[in-house]
Amino acid sequence: MIIFESIIDGFRDIRDHFGRTMLQLLGIILGAASIVATFSLSVAGKAASMEFYRVSGGIQKMWVWDKPTGKVTLNAKALASKGLTYSDALAIRRDAREIDLVAPMASQGALVRYGHTEKSREISGVTPEYAPLTDFHAGSGRFLTDSDVASAARVVVLGSERAAEFFGTDNPIGKTLTIGGTGYSVVGVMEEKYFSFDQKRNVLRWMNRQIYIPVTTLITRRGETLEHGKIDRMQTRMKSVKRSDEAVDEVARILMREHGVKDYEVMSRVANLRRNEQNNKMYDMTFMVCGIISLLVGGIVVMNIQLASFNERVREVGTRKAVGASPAQIFFQFLSESILVSLFGGFMGLFVGRLFTQAITSLIHQPAIVTMGTLVNAMIFAAGTGLVFGMYPAIRASRLDPIVALRTE
Amino acid sequence: MSAIFKYEVETGPEPEMPEMPRERALITLEQISKVYDSGENAVQALRGIDTGIEAGQFVAITGPSGSGKSTLMHILGCLDSPSAGRYWLDGEDVATLTSRELARIRNRKIGFVFQTFNLLPRATILKNVELPLLYAGIGKDERQERAMKALERVGLNTRSKHRPNELSGGQRQRVAIARALVNNPSLILADEPTGNLDTKTGSDIIRIFEELAGSGQTIILVTHDPSIAARTERRIRIVDGLIDTESD
Repeated sequence: MIIFESIIDGFRDIRDHFGRTMLQLLGIILGAASIVATFSLSVAGKAASMEFYRVSGGIQKMWVWDKPTGKVTLNAKALASKGLTYSDALAIRRDAREIDLVAPMASQGALVRYGHTEKSREISGVTPEYAPLTDFHAGSGRFLTDSDVASAARVVVLGSERAAEFFGTDNPIGKTLTIGGTGYSVVGVMEEKYFSFDQKRNVLRWMNRQIYIPVTTLITRRGETLEHGKIDRMQTRMKSVKRSDEAVDEVARILMREHGVKDYEVMSRVANLRRNEQNNKMYDMTFMVCGIISLLVGGIVVMNIQLASFNERVREVGTRKAVGASPAQIFFQFLSESILVSLFGGFMGLFVGRLFTQAITSLIHQPAIVTMGTLVNAMIFAAGTGLVFGMYPAIRASRLDPIVALRTE
Repeated sequence: MSAIFKYEVETGPEPEMPEMPRERALITLEQISKVYDSGENAVQALRGIDTGIEAGQFVAITGPSGSGKSTLMHILGCLDSPSAGRYWLDGEDVATLTSRELARIRNRKIGFVFQTFNLLPRATILKNVELPLLYAGIGKDERQERAMKALERVGLNTRSKHRPNELSGGQRQRVAIARALVNNPSLILADEPTGNLDTKTGSDIIRIFEELAGSGQTIILVTHDPSIAARTERRIRIVDGLIDTESD
């Protein structure tokens, strides 16, 4: 009853002092708006990273690469170690229980020619596992197969840009591409890979510029044996994200057994993600603090104006008390006015925040996702501001001595 | 008091309760004093007021300014508590109540009429009259019905949708009287109700009080105007914090 009447009174107050109320609202509006903008950008940023992880092979992905120690060591095995080799990949594939895919990779520059087009290009030696690990598949023809790898076949799969570069509008499949003086049969062209954080730059464009041959072909063409064939890096996939630490440890243990010295590095995307999450949290916190500071400022304005309004209405408070309003009822009336004004400001802040995010999106091409949770959060913070800063004026009003109040001119 | 003792008291002959006021009056004041403590020089506004007011009496409290009559009125109206003494209102000892309990007493048992009307400027006449009922927690329909009845008694039921600034001073004071009446109070306290009105309008307002008194309403009227005091049935004159003269 009293609650309802107080809310009606609050609305009447907002209407009667519209200009003053707007001033009072400004801080709350900006505070709520910056919370909306922050959350929206942060949510969108997280969604974009997750999407990026998905299109680039999932968060189960791990990398292994060479990291020469630089230390002089007397251990014979360590001296003999020449870094990552094809047999390391085979050892991991054979022994690691936490790993379901292993994709060794070696690359080398070579002269590539078709017809009159001849260019120096980087060639990647890979295995079929490369496709699922990078979520990158043949758009036409096929990707490399296990038998290509087993037989060190002279077959090549082209990234879409490379296909266009050498073959133009011709269909490259079945044609012969000359790489380092040797003919390779084109068996496939990859789909076009695209991902953008800002709707402008394709961060995965480099994948469209790849030329893939079986890793075994690359190694043997180089004149190395498969056993000692040097590879640059491996991508592997863990079976369970929950056991990511175990997977990393297991791969490291196998490599340690093979090399006898730690001249490699194993990294998992899960670890990356954890670090990113830390960073994201810091960003979120920073923006949150900004939002909260503007809400604080807004709250102080609310408090000042509530106090001013209270001074104007001392007689009214006195009258209400004389006819029997209890201190609690007066307290609640003033507090509900503050909360109401703040909620109103928070509500307007939602729209202003939406404008903020749109402005940011169109200016710096950062995507923004406004979720219900974000809006609810902003409203809760706004109402909380009203509650906290309405407390003091409400307490003062509730403690007012009716005799003094009625005597006030 | 133990439960057994209480039981015996209840079953025995009605005992002489030492706490009860001596007479069956609506108001009994016993040695009411009020000290305003402002540092070294404490001011004794009331120095032992003893009196009783019967239900249905129409009483004027008079006295020069600074006599303590305002203080007495504040205590009678439960806006303030005495420094010492006893105040029985309608069988309840109200001298020692907390501010919350005093608010309840004001809400249920007292109706105020002020010199400056003290209507809420932004609320309609009806809402102004409803105000005590709102704080009593009475539902909207009943509030409106009772407020309209109170406005009828002061002849303003046709102006219920207007705001105070659309009414004349006399009309505003009648609204204030309706507001004082709406909760069927044991006591109406009017503090210089004609102070801001011309003689003719003031006289009309006093006539309303006379009519209310005629229907059995207890009214205490604080005034310095002898011609208005003369129209009440009993006058209490306060001088220097004490009752100077009483006349019936």
